[in-house]
Amino acid sequence: MITPIELTALVRRALPDARVEIYDRTGTHDHYNLKVVSKGFAGLTPLDRHRLVYRALGDALGDGRLHAVELTTLTEEERS
Amino acid sequence: MSDDLKHTISDEIKNNKVLVYGKGTKDAPRCGFTMETIAFFNQFGYPFEVIDVLEDMPKRQALTELTDWPTLPKVFINGTFYGDTDILGPMHERGELAPLLDETFKTPVR
Repeated sequence: MITPIELTALVRRALPDARVEIYDRTGTHDHYNLKVVSKGFAGLTPLDRHRLVYRALGDALGDGRLHAVELTTLTEEERS
Repeated sequence: MSDDLKHTISDEIKNNKVLVYGKGTKDAPRCGFTMETIAFFNQFGYPFEVIDVLEDMPKRQALTELTDWPTLPKVFINGTFYGDTDILGPMHERGELAPLLDETFKTPVR
């Protein structure tokens, strides 16, 4: 289990400007829907954007606190 | 990663135009995301293969290294890695996936 606050902190280690919207899909604090908006995604392919976020979440995914994430990655411009 | 494992994986990717490495089988998926991925590909009407790697930790590790992608399912189309439905869903919404699949099934496997 991991809290939304901890998740946001992990994402911001890699993407300090990130705005992170989090939805707990199952109510069990381990399956989350994450929407991350950051300037850091500019110029990256969707695959590389997701790799960046997965790397940031690496510890939590690795030790089982986080079981699964559904991910959306956008820049500010794409969002608006 | 052992050479055997490397060959097995590269053969699987080569021999299946649409390939999903997931948890469970097509008939009995054992993970919500694998189930969603199967439902996702069912809508296109093209054949696709699901290979269950849930219990095969060495193969999961090899696949993660190969793709630099930590989670399952992992989807390959025409030999190229496409991530999962988080990537493919938006591609489909932009109208990019159907043409890719049409093209994939027009040409012989690479």
